[in-house]
Order: sequence, then structure tokens, then C-alpha cells
Amino acid sequence: MKWKKLGKIFDPTNHQLPNNCVEFAQSPQTLVLDDCVRIYFSTREKDLATGKFLSHIAFVDMDKNLEQIINIASDTVIQLGELGTFDEHGIFPINIVKTNNQIVAYTCGWSRRVSVSVETSVGYAVSEDNGLTFKKIGNGPILTASLDEPFLVGDAFVCVFENVYHMWYMYGTRWIDNPEEEAARVYKIGHATSLDGIHWNKEGKQIIDDVLNNDECQALPTVIEHNGVYHMYFCFREAIGFRKNRDRGYRLGYAYSKDLITWVRDDANAGIEFSKEGWDADMQCYPHIFKVDEKIYLLYNGNEFGRFGFGLAVLEN
Amino acid sequence: MFTWKKLGRIFDPTAIKGKSWLNEFAQAPAVLVFDEFVRVYFSCRPLPDANGQYVSYSSFVDFNRSNLFEIVSIADNPIFKLGERGTFDEFGTYPTSVIRDNGNVMAYYAGWTRCESVPFNVAIGAAISKDEGVTFEKLGSGPILSYSLNEPFVLSGPKIRRFNNKWYLFYIAGTKWIPNNGKPEPVYKLRMATSVDGIHWVKQEKDLIESRLEEDEAQASPDVFFYNNKYHLFFCYRYSLNFRGKENGYRIGYASSTDLINWTRDDTKAGIDVSEDGWDSEMISYPHVFALDGNIYMMYLGNQVGKFGFGLAQLEGELI
Repeated sequence: MKWKKLGKIFDPTNHQLPNNCVEFAQSPQTLVLDDCVRIYFSTREKDLATGKFLSHIAFVDMDKNLEQIINIASDTVIQLGELGTFDEHGIFPINIVKTNNQIVAYTCGWSRRVSVSVETSVGYAVSEDNGLTFKKIGNGPILTASLDEPFLVGDAFVCVFENVYHMWYMYGTRWIDNPEEEAARVYKIGHATSLDGIHWNKEGKQIIDDVLNNDECQALPTVIEHNGVYHMYFCFREAIGFRKNRDRGYRLGYAYSKDLITWVRDDANAGIEFSKEGWDADMQCYPHIFKVDEKIYLLYNGNEFGRFGFGLAVLEN
Repeated sequence: MFTWKKLGRIFDPTAIKGKSWLNEFAQAPAVLVFDEFVRVYFSCRPLPDANGQYVSYSSFVDFNRSNLFEIVSIADNPIFKLGERGTFDEFGTYPTSVIRDNGNVMAYYAGWTRCESVPFNVAIGAAISKDEGVTFEKLGSGPILSYSLNEPFVLSGPKIRRFNNKWYLFYIAGTKWIPNNGKPEPVYKLRMATSVDGIHWVKQEKDLIESRLEEDEAQASPDVFFYNNKYHLFFCYRYSLNFRGKENGYRIGYASSTDLINWTRDDTKAGIDVSEDGWDSEMISYPHVFALDGNIYMMYLGNQVGKFGFGLAQLEGELI
């Protein structure tokens, strides 16, 4: 794979965003419409009650060459959950799937815990206005912790291949006591299938090998079928010391599969490297692959987990 | 109406010395009958921590089968460790329900975690014992029944049963948290799931019974007992707020069904209420009904939801 970088295309600090959000445009994910590409992202409001952040979904509409900004969301796209629900403290990220003339969203809902910082689960919502707003079909999640995936189920990415819904997602394996900072989480990428997009069967195993060590954190899978092969990008990092240390932080990983069951990890062929300097010189994370007019693009975040926006690359071969 | 003759309190956790994990509370009794003794699982608490917060453990006490007022022995330890950091049962395992299965004993229990905006969340775990219910191994570090679209939080109070070669899990699911001026209180209702193997569950996705006190009535401990060709459901219910005293506190309710799907609630038939004075004078809750040697008994909690233990009542007449 070989990607040509097109640079940063959106900086949230240059725009007025809904929900009093000021920084961060994380995990860009697309809905390709007739006349534009709608790019959803997660941005942040400061929670005045606690001083912590609440993640909200917003979007930017760009022309189909991804050169011009046409519009930016001015209202709430999807409400955070009610008191005590799984998505009370944020939605990050959101994955949009268009099937059978329906536009649905798979959300990753955040709620805060006491002994650890957070728990996540996957939610489901439907849009009836072409993706301007989404309504949840219930207050609870559609995919959450289970016997062998005890916490931190999230980052769903859904595709339909041959009438079967496939979901790739992250699930937590352990929380590490970390005297330096708060407890550190470890998560891996799993796979589930469904016939209706709502009721899922987890495959129940880690599908992408670790390359760093057992505590490698793997997040945000994105999959595309191209020339008979399924290609997955994701991001991965060390469990501890990843915020400030470039060598331990997020970078993009790559794997491929011919049958959606066995994946071969092949980071050497990811085809995208850190820049020597600039917005993606220290970190690359939250990849999203999509197709517009037969071109294949990659959206991703750079330094500081996307605090100052996201950029774009286009597949060259 | 049924008539229960109260026999008195049979277990007072505050009277037990030398077990730091069993300081007070003996909640949600669940019976496993042996040849010589009756093992009663319950949930209990050590002293609260510096912030006044409790954890819950589950364990058991054995009573003489021919005299349920005679304690034969008490477990050396809780039957489960609390979960590891970040897991659903890190801060408590309460309540626990048990059933024999192919020479093993299966336990289904509610695991507690602590949250920021609300005090806790709860999901249901499972464990297996291969030594007659003395020690248990969890089936996994996560829950076996957890949150879903229409059961968004607080899945608790499991009662495991098997009828007609099918597994039934009766439990409660939260419907909302009432903000209550910064001290949120959950509302929960009785629910049911079924399974062919005890591991994979299908939720029935509906409340078993309607609410009677108020829309936000909290219902707990759905204890189903099959007798005389009928399923008898004893449970407890209370007001959603200010329920820690006699006025709005737990009472025992009743419903029946012939098909485990359609239930008819009729609390006037429950036949047991708070006493005028004594250990169960303010509230009665967490009923568990069982048959033993030709009699039908109910174990239940008294004041402060079992802080001072559980008692026994005996049915006079028939369950019809």
C-alpha cells in the first residue's frame, strides 16, 4: 500500500462548533452523500461540574474532491445519554453505515468509573434526515462487556459483505496499575457478525497479532475490500508512557485478509509514515478508509490525539 | 391468601466473630439442600472503608437439616474473590443464586462496580463449583448477562431456575436513575431470560409484572417456586425514594403464572408482612421459598435490608 499525504484538512480551532466544543476533531469517519462527503468527528466540551471533558459528535461537509469545506454542524448531532447510561459522558467515535436506504450509527459511549477512568460500550442510532441528526433506539448499548471481554468494548467499525454484517471493535483485556499516572488500559481488536446489524455474535478472540508486547493497545479498526483482499488499518501503542513519548505513542498498523477470518499483520506495508515535522510528526491515530468516485482515501489524526484536527491521504496504487 | 407462620430469625451476622469479611449484613438467602444439612448462601459485608463505602461478599452457612435454628458450620471464606481492577464485580458480589447441574453447583451473582455520576452499576456473572458449593471458579472475568438496548444498567438480583429442561434466569433491570438532589436512586423492575445451556441467554425483554405503588416502584428478588402445577413468584417491592425506613420500605409481593410468561400480580395473597416489633418490624425483603422434608419455607430479610440477618417462615396450608 502506498499513500500520498494531502495534509491536514480540518482544524477545529478555526471553526465554531456545536455544544460549546473548542478543541479536538478526533476519529474522522465519513458518510458519502450525493453532493458532499460528510465527515463526522468527536470534539470536546469542558464539563463544568467536574472539569473533565465530554465528547460530542459534530461533522464537516466537504466537496467530493475533499478540498473545500461546505458546511459545519451547527446543532447537536446525537445526544449524550441520560444519568447512569453507558454514553453519559461522551460519544467517541461514531461509525456511519448506509444500508437499505437507512443511515445508522455505531457509537462508542463513555461513562466514568471510580477505580478506573472510564468504561465504554457500543451504541446504535438511526438518522432520518440524511445524517444531520441521529436518534438512539434504546438507552442501553448493543455490544458490551461479556465473560471474556470484561470491559472497554468500543470503536465499532461495521461493513456489510455478502449480506452479513461484520463489526471490528476493541475490547479491554486488563487495567494496569500505574503509579506514575492513572490506571492504564490494554485493549485488542475483535470481530463480531450479525444478520440485522443489531444483534451480534462475538467471535471471541483477538484477531490481530501484537507486535510490541502483550500489553500493546490496538484501537479503531477500519476495513475496506479492494481487488479481492480485505485491508485493515488500525492504530496501536504502548500501554504506558504513550501521551508524550513519540516512540511509545499511537502509530498506524496494517493487516490483510482473504477470508475475513484470518488476518496477516503487515505493518511494514502500511505505506504511511510519520512526517519529518508538522501536524503528524509525533503521532498518527484513528484511521478511517473510504472510497469516493473510485478513489480510496485515508483520514487520520496526528499529534496530540487530534487536538488540532485531522488530515487526509489518497491511495496511489 | 397464603399463611406464613414466622419462626423467627435464624442467622444474625453481627453475632459471628472472627471473620472480618462477615461483619454485618446477611442478604439474599439462597438454599442448597444436602443430606444432613441445608446450606444457605447469603451476601455480607466487612466494615466500611474510610469513606463509609462497603464491598459485598457472598458465602454460606450450614444449618442442621432437621433443625434450621442450629448452625452446623460457617464457611471459612467468601466463595468468590472480588474482581480485578476495572471489572464488573470489583466492588461486590451480591446477591448469589445457586443450582445443581450435573454434579456441579452453578452460581449466578450480581457484580458491583462504582461509577462517577451514579454510585454504582451492576451486571450478572456466573461461577462453577466442583466441590459441592464450597469454592467457586468464575466462568470469566466479565459478566454473563449485561446491559442492552432496553436494559441499560443495574442488572442484579439473579435467581437461577431450571424448568422443563430449560434454564430460567429471573433478575432485575434498571429503567432509570432518579437524580434525587445529587444522591441518585435507581428504579428497577423484574425481568427474565432463558437459556438452553445456562451460559448463553436470551432476554425476554419485558417486565414480568406491573407496578402497583407508583410508576417508579422498585421491584427485587424475583423468587420463582413451582408447586401444584403453578409458578409462584414471591418478590419484594418498595417506593423509589425515602425507602430506608418503615414507611416506604420493602414489602413482599406475590404473583403467579402457569406458563412463566404471563404473570398475575396479587400482593394480597403474599401472606407475610412486617412484625409489630423486633428484627423485621420495619421492612421485609428478598424472599426465597423452598421445600424441605414435606414443608414449604420462606427465608427473608428484616430491617435495613438484612443488616441484622435473615429469618424463616413456614407455610401453613397450601400454595395454590
